[in-house]
Amino acid sequence: MTIRTARPDRVQHFRPRMHCLKKLEAMMVEMQSGVKGSEQKLNVTTIPHVITGKDIIAWITNKMKSTTEESQAFGTMLVAYGYIYPLENHKKLVMCNDTSLYRFQTPYFWPTQKWVAEDSDYAIYLAKRNIRKKGMLEPYEQAHYNHLHEWLNHKWDFIVMQATEQYKAGKERKKPDRVVFDCQERAYWIVNKPPRHTHSAMDCGPERLIDPNSDEKITFDTYRRMNLFYQQAIMRSKVKSSVSLGALVKYITTYKNHDPFLAPCLPSNPWHTDNDTYWTMNMRQVEVPTKMRVERWSFSLFELLSDLRGRDDFKIFLKKEFSGENMAFWEAAEELKWGTASSMTSKAETIFKTFLAPGAPRWINIDGRTMGLTVKGLDHPHRYVLEAAQTHVFLLMKKDTFFRYLKSPVYKEIQKKALNPEPHNFSPAQLEQNAQNRSPGIHPIILWQQDESEKAKAAIASAPVDVKAMMSKIDRK
Amino acid sequence: MGKDECKTMLDALNKVTACYRHLVIALGSTSDSQNLREELKKTRKKAQELAVANRTKLTSLLKDKSISKEDRAEYERLWVLFSSSMELLEVDMKRSLEIGQDFPTKVPTRHFIQTGMTGSTTTVAARAMSVQNMKYEADSNIDTVDLRDLQTEITQVSQMMEEMEMKVQVAPWAVEAKQEAGAELKSNMSVGNSSVGVISICEEEPKEEEGGGSRDSGIASVCAVFVFFVIIAVAGVLGYLVVNMS
Repeated sequence: MTIRTARPDRVQHFRPRMHCLKKLEAMMVEMQSGVKGSEQKLNVTTIPHVITGKDIIAWITNKMKSTTEESQAFGTMLVAYGYIYPLENHKKLVMCNDTSLYRFQTPYFWPTQKWVAEDSDYAIYLAKRNIRKKGMLEPYEQAHYNHLHEWLNHKWDFIVMQATEQYKAGKERKKPDRVVFDCQERAYWIVNKPPRHTHSAMDCGPERLIDPNSDEKITFDTYRRMNLFYQQAIMRSKVKSSVSLGALVKYITTYKNHDPFLAPCLPSNPWHTDNDTYWTMNMRQVEVPTKMRVERWSFSLFELLSDLRGRDDFKIFLKKEFSGENMAFWEAAEELKWGTASSMTSKAETIFKTFLAPGAPRWINIDGRTMGLTVKGLDHPHRYVLEAAQTHVFLLMKKDTFFRYLKSPVYKEIQKKALNPEPHNFSPAQLEQNAQNRSPGIHPIILWQQDESEKAKAAIASAPVDVKAMMSKIDRK
Repeated sequence: MGKDECKTMLDALNKVTACYRHLVIALGSTSDSQNLREELKKTRKKAQELAVANRTKLTSLLKDKSISKEDRAEYERLWVLFSSSMELLEVDMKRSLEIGQDFPTKVPTRHFIQTGMTGSTTTVAARAMSVQNMKYEADSNIDTVDLRDLQTEITQVSQMMEEMEMKVQVAPWAVEAKQEAGAELKSNMSVGNSSVGVISICEEEPKEEEGGGSRDSGIASVCAVFVFFVIIAVAGVLGYLVVNMS
């Protein structure tokens, strides 16, 4: 095995989802006879084969018998994939239905499934561009150049040599051809290495081991497995679509303002603006939560308990009501579920002594059948031995305590106190600066230590009061 | 010396690879033609000859156990240059096979892509072959015949590269490049790093060895400027005399 065979040979490991490319290539060849080209005048040179967006879209509409909007979308995809490139605004890869000018890309630079745009080719291109522009590359290109110089350093001599040779060989051609070649290469690399804050249509998933373009031979075994699968599918119980769709609609209407894809998250989405105020404001131990977070707690008990800050708030309310044992049991059961296997027996024993034994200090009120099952299971404790009891307790809390919590002064107060941050409005220069000043955030060990100290404090506070000690203290006084 | 021979041969291979790439980019477009196919064939043959010559030379140099450490580092660097050139050449050959199959020259209903390039690539091919003018002598079915040859040649090249890797133990990532970032902005690059830097327009500072070279050429350019001004002064004096006389 050599380095070349160990490296992924791109013909063997296929990139997925590009079946459309063969069909698009056929369409591009047909388009050559259909769309009329004109000439472009640049100072003294005239370059032929320039087409307007209008003509392309008209041809597509005619050929595919679709509407103008669909043809425009199709045309935009052709530009985004790199089959056609715009001459005027070369960074914006859209097809406009007007007189904006485009040109066809040469087949070498078409997107293909087999040949991926190599980094060494990109380095050669950047070096050539460096020569042409006399050192004034765009900032994102300069960043790529520095990065490639660092990790392709062993090939750097080759890259410089090849770049100068290609530049000189390019000069041998006539002036209009040189201009066209520059445009072509630039368009290819804008598609394959898009500038900052632009989206590339060439994003595809991980590599696959089978060729998605080749046909799979269906054998007898495949049919047997298909039969089994369909028989099982028929026997499954199904929900009526009206019911499931109704549930989906309800979910969407409740959550749509909280989804960062659909509604802007306040103050600003850290992945967009590189400013992490949103994360610091929504941390675990924050004093005052945000309005959106508090609103989310009112959706269901599950949301309230999943958010640890919400759980704290709920526990404050329960302490006022002196009905904390359900919550404590639920938390203890969670700890058993998620804890280490070695601590399970000891945890199960403490839970039994504290919550389930008759006359226990924090006895929970669950029905007789569940209690019997749980106590029997605790003889041989496993992770999910308290599942039935936990669900019962959860339902009790949901049906009764949760609604009282939502109407309580604790919740209303936190709703009033909750923060509503102003949305950020960064200019592009500030965005660049934000990108450079990204902070690494709080170390997870510090967060873990904070969590542990909180847990210790809570354990001391909630330890069952020793009645005898209290009585003796009062007697002594 | 063996090193200089190697360097000149690698230079030549580099030039041919660059020209081959230019020619392959023109395939399938409106500057494609029978001539282009012939140019591709000739450039390819030349590239292969150079490749074989380079390989034998470099393998013999690297197999020699009695060379010093700096020499060995230098030969490894040349080896990396050679193998990178060959990789590029192999990829370009495979792509030219694909595109050549998709765009045959003789089918009248098949259209070439109107890319805007209309000129011929004769000059590029002439540069690759190091001749003044290209002679075209192939028959009309060159594209189909050539494609078959191309397939065999591609397998040959792949085999050669595998053999190369097996025979010569060179770790490509361990090689340190001699050029710094922005070195392409100085002209007259060659394999040997003794380039005469003309005017470096980049922001980076040139290395010390290039500083010496640029000092010499600086003197040359100062002399040129001086001569220019002398000529202007003479022209001015003559003009004044002419005006005086009339």
